[in-house]
Amino acid sequence: MITAHVVTHENLHLYKAEFDEFLRRRHDVFVEQKRWRPPAPDGRERDEFDTDKATYILGIEDGLVVTSARLIPTSEPHLVSEVFPHLCERSGVPRRADWAEWTRTFVLQRERHLGLRGTFTQLCAAVMQYAVEEGLSAVGGVQEAYAMPRLGRFGWKLLPLGMAREFGEETYIVTYIEVSEAALTSIRNVLGGEWPRLVRRGTVRPFVPERRVSVS
Amino acid sequence: MHADDVFQFIERCQERVSPQEVLTDLLQTSAKLGFDHLLFSGVPVGQQELAPLVELNGWPVDWFDRYNSQAYFRTDGVCLHAARTLRPFAWNEVPSDVGDTDASRQVSGDAADHGIHSGFVVPLLSLDHWQSAISFASSARRAQMSSIERAQLVTMATFTGTYVQSLALEALGQRDEISISDREREVLRWYHNGKTAWEIGEILQISERTANKHLTSARRKLGVATTRQAVAEAARRRLLHF
Repeated sequence: MITAHVVTHENLHLYKAEFDEFLRRRHDVFVEQKRWRPPAPDGRERDEFDTDKATYILGIEDGLVVTSARLIPTSEPHLVSEVFPHLCERSGVPRRADWAEWTRTFVLQRERHLGLRGTFTQLCAAVMQYAVEEGLSAVGGVQEAYAMPRLGRFGWKLLPLGMAREFGEETYIVTYIEVSEAALTSIRNVLGGEWPRLVRRGTVRPFVPERRVSVS
Repeated sequence: MHADDVFQFIERCQERVSPQEVLTDLLQTSAKLGFDHLLFSGVPVGQQELAPLVELNGWPVDWFDRYNSQAYFRTDGVCLHAARTLRPFAWNEVPSDVGDTDASRQVSGDAADHGIHSGFVVPLLSLDHWQSAISFASSARRAQMSSIERAQLVTMATFTGTYVQSLALEALGQRDEISISDREREVLRWYHNGKTAWEIGEILQISERTANKHLTSARRKLGVATTRQAVAEAARRRLLHF
């Protein structure tokens, strides 16, 4: 089981090594495997959305950063607003502080963590817990259409913002997931009564400014 | 077809309706694009049969019976290609290595005799099968689909896939998820690589008896009779990958 650590600009100094490992794994996955981005000389993948407005959830297990998520308020520039606005032909690009764009998720392939109760589901449960606690309304962004059915398995309510579009080998669709207590309960049921601990170490900025965070 | 038809279908899909309602709804919506029939199913691989993998059956009854009884899924280029690609494809885009065989041509000829002339397949991730696919079939001879039509079909297929997966969620609790130990995984992997229990014992520094014990317990947990089936079942459940 992973432990999910919330990392923002304010507590990043407590996670120097882990954050560096996260950037190296991103390079492995998004540069070397998926070839979404050009190689970086220092072997760390960063893009223009890694600003101090981003919140990271790092899934740590056995001392390794095994999975991750990056959440950006859609009121800030984000991948969909800057690169894929044309994929939101149904409802336009969301621009709300309580709608978070979710990107940069990888799962370190370790066999015993595959399957329905594996690392990916654990990360999704942590993201949903964080979103509920921070009072978000929706999380989402560009998704691979092929893999969308697994979100159905979590019992999550989905809102497509546009039509699927083929880009070479892959098909993408911009879809948001409704944040709710019910969505959290249902993914926890999938995990079978055991779910990741969500840790906020040091000072962590609330996702939505001017909002008190209620931690249940 | 208007984009709103697609989005309204998706909304209706999420209103906890029955599989039969989703099937009827999807048939009506995709009919606007000229597709009269559809089958949503796990893609059979190896020795698997098609019928147990079917989730939504909107093919003409006589054609499904024919396809199934003739085991066409073992030779049909459309079905073979659906097992190895993640990309949506029209039937006439199936590569020639599987599409241009005598056996595959026989399937498409027989389909034409049943009034089915063209189609479009959307492969989807499945948590229960090797992979799933929706095959939309048309009585028209469609030479070309526009990119908008393709996008509309893919979008509807994607959300039908999420709907079908959500059905499994409701069945949760009725069926416990299976897990196997690291040791069982290891012996299955060596077995898959052609090693005997004695050889596996030598490799892992355990006795042949213990190696056999792990194989037996893996078979029991996976609910199968033979070790070959255990390897296939573990791979299907994504407990093992090669």
